[in-house]
This record gives sequence, structure tokens and C-alpha cells, in this order.
Amino acid sequence: MSPRLFFALGGRALLLFAAGVFAQAPPVPLQKPHAKVWSVPRTPDGHPDLQGVWTNATITPFERPAALSGKPVLSDSEAAAVEEQAAEGRVDQPPPPGDPGGYNQFWFDRGTKVVGTKRSSLVVDPPDGRVPALTPAAQRQQQEAAAYAAQHPADGPESRPLAERCILWGTAGPPMAPGPYNNNYQIVQGPGYVVILVEMIHDARVIPTDGRSHLPGHIRQWMGDPRGHWEGDTLVVETTNFTSKTRYRGADENLRVVEKFRRVDADMIDYQFTIDDPTAFTQPWGADIPMTRSEGTLYEYACHEGNYAMTDILAGARAQEKARPEARRQP
Amino acid sequence: MRTKLALAVAGAGLLLAAVPVWGHHAFAAEFDAKKPVKLQGKVTKMEWINPHAWIHLDVKNADGTMTNWMVEGGTPNTLLRRGFTKDSLLPGTEIVVDGYQAKDGSFRANGRDVTFPDGRKLFIGNQSPGEGAPESSK
Repeated sequence: MSPRLFFALGGRALLLFAAGVFAQAPPVPLQKPHAKVWSVPRTPDGHPDLQGVWTNATITPFERPAALSGKPVLSDSEAAAVEEQAAEGRVDQPPPPGDPGGYNQFWFDRGTKVVGTKRSSLVVDPPDGRVPALTPAAQRQQQEAAAYAAQHPADGPESRPLAERCILWGTAGPPMAPGPYNNNYQIVQGPGYVVILVEMIHDARVIPTDGRSHLPGHIRQWMGDPRGHWEGDTLVVETTNFTSKTRYRGADENLRVVEKFRRVDADMIDYQFTIDDPTAFTQPWGADIPMTRSEGTLYEYACHEGNYAMTDILAGARAQEKARPEARRQP
Repeated sequence: MRTKLALAVAGAGLLLAAVPVWGHHAFAAEFDAKKPVKLQGKVTKMEWINPHAWIHLDVKNADGTMTNWMVEGGTPNTLLRRGFTKDSLLPGTEIVVDGYQAKDGSFRANGRDVTFPDGRKLFIGNQSPGEGAPESSK
């Protein structure tokens, strides 16, 4: 049981107990403020209030590791072992010989805990916790793109990955998932809109909830075209109209993402998403990722403004071509 | 069992193909693994910019001339969350950088390991958010 769930249930039990006591004796100040039964806070228009800064950092892997095949949920001791091992893994190691390496561990902020459900993967559907295989056509497209990138690693900025170009971070969403650092989101609600500020790498996801229809099919966007509506106390966001360049985990422009946000207590949003792209994936799939309240603030990322690395990479490629004419790019 | 689980989890991390494994940019595309550098000098400024913080330092060459180098780190947002401020690495601070020079031969390097001359380490190690900056950097 998670501490939050414990407190939630404990609080309820305490209230019942207190009611019994009050029936027989004068009231005494028994309750602490946090022991009150939690009910979902609401915005002035009556919808659940999702606002605040949230983080989805966790050491629970996105997909279930092969060694945990058939084990969807960890025991308490296994979860503790995973957390202990992750802590040991945060000790810095030198890069392999002949490799400039990356950051040392100081710069990473992947979280320290497994998810409260102790599931062994964030992917919950299909039941094996693994992202389904790509269709043969999508696999072929991925191989061709990789082969082209190997031949043209740095012709120009368009040769580099979207993240390096400061266009789109792979986990910025939709769907949103934890990455190496800055796993922070701020949700703001207003009449007819929900906005999610995503720290990596600068995006504001503006989600209309006023019932308008999707954009026409020929208008395509990096993060798709989202539409939100409420099903009871759950915010449901359906996103379509992706570009064929976004390529979320191999998806194509037919990607349809459905996200669900539901406040489960004062400090947690249960966030679930499903991925449906019949031309790219052999079956639909989905994940369940808790978002917990963050004490901190969201910091600006302003990726493009400081992107010196892009010019360095391109200048490096040109310098190497000059030094080794045979390495000059193929037409 | 613990080791097996840990290996399993480490392996799973590598499957996050949508995210660069090492960070925002491929350092192997930017820096030359055949050009290791060890730079010692005084900080002239630190740029708190994303996607990478950059430390500028003046390094004295063998012939007595001075070269201003730029050293690339990770996201400054992490530094803020670890308790660093703009006053944590002031101009004039002497540091030593172990890294690799940029592929185009310019005076830029990655700064995986940054230490003070007495060996104390900066921007390295195992701090978790909220644990604050190491004493050496304050």
C-alpha cells in the first residue's frame, strides 16, 4: 500500500472512529488537518482541478525487462532491491575507451522510486508489458530512415534528431513519459481549455475542451491536434493529425493517442494513455504512469536559444570532410 | 535475485529509444574521442543556458599565451534543483576539466569531469535533487 493510499484509508477510518467517540463523549480535538477525507478539488466551472506542478520521474522501466517476464508486479522486497540497485547505479563511471562519453551522473534526474503500484513496467497493455512489434511496413520505413541517417549524419540541421534541433523531445507528449531529467509538467485550466506546460523541451500543450471538432486532415502538427472532454471526473484527451515526421516509437501520421487524467488524491494524478496506429503497430498498446505533485517550480528550458551544440556538430562534420575528402557526403 | 533484477532494469533503460541515452545531444557527434584534453584555468563566465550549460575558462598555453575555452555540461535546470545558484561558480574560480575537444578543432570541449585543483569534484557524483550542492561548489 502506498503511503498516500494508507493515509487516505487511515483518514477515513479515523473519521469513523471519531464519529463513534463523539456519540458518547464531548468532542475533543482529535484530528490533524491532513487526516481529513480527501475529495477532488474543483475549478469554478465544476471540473476536477488538475492544476499544479507534477512530475512523472520514476525508475520503473517503460517496458518490462525480459528477466521479469511473467511478473507484472514486484513484491515489496523486490521493489526495495530495484530501488537500492538504482541508487548504486547512480555512481559515476568513466566512458568507454575511445568515446567522449556523455554527462556524468550528476546531471541526470530519473527519480529514485518505483511506481506506487509496484508494477514492473509502465506499459500495462498488452499484458506482457512490452510495446508491440511494428508492422512490416513500419519496420521497413524505420530501417530505410536509419540507413539514410547513417549515410547523411550531419548534412544540415534537418539530418539531426528532433530533440537535437530543439523541436520535440521524445517524451514531451502526447503521450508523456519520464525521461532522463526535467520530468516536470504544469497544468493550467481555464474555461474551454486545459494547458500542459512541458519542461522538456519548452512546449505548451494547448488542449481545447469546448467540444470543437478536429482540424481538417491535411493540417498536421508535431504534437498532433488534441481535443479534450470530461468523462465523469476524468479528463480524456484524444490527439490525431500528427506529422509523419514525429515518429513516436515508430508511429506514423495515423497515430491516435488517447490520454486520461484523473486525480486520485491530493498529491497524485493517475495518467494513462493508449496508442492506436494500425499502420505502424501490430496492435494497440498503453501505459499507466502516475504523476505526483512536485514541490518545486517549472523552469524555462528555452532550448533553441542556447543550442550551441547544433552548430558544433555541423562544424565538426564539415571539418572532418575537409580533413578526409573521401568522407564527403554522398549525393 | 537483486543482481538479476538490477541487470534487468538497466537493460530496460536502454530500450528508451525515443530519448537519447546519454543526454540531449550526441556528444560523439560533437567531440572527438581522439582529442582528449586536460584544461586548467580560471572561470571567466558560466552560461546558464539550455540545452547545455557552458563554462568559459582562460587556459594558459605552454608558450605563455592564453586561450579562452568553452566547456559543455548538461541542463542547468538540474543544477538549480540541486541547489546551485548563479553564484556557485564565479569568475576567477580555478578549475580543471577532463574532456574531449570539439571535432572542428575549436576551443570547445565536453566537461564530463570538472574538479578543483585540489581534487574536489564539481558537477559530479550521486546527489539527488534536494540534497543540495556539494560543499565544494558553494
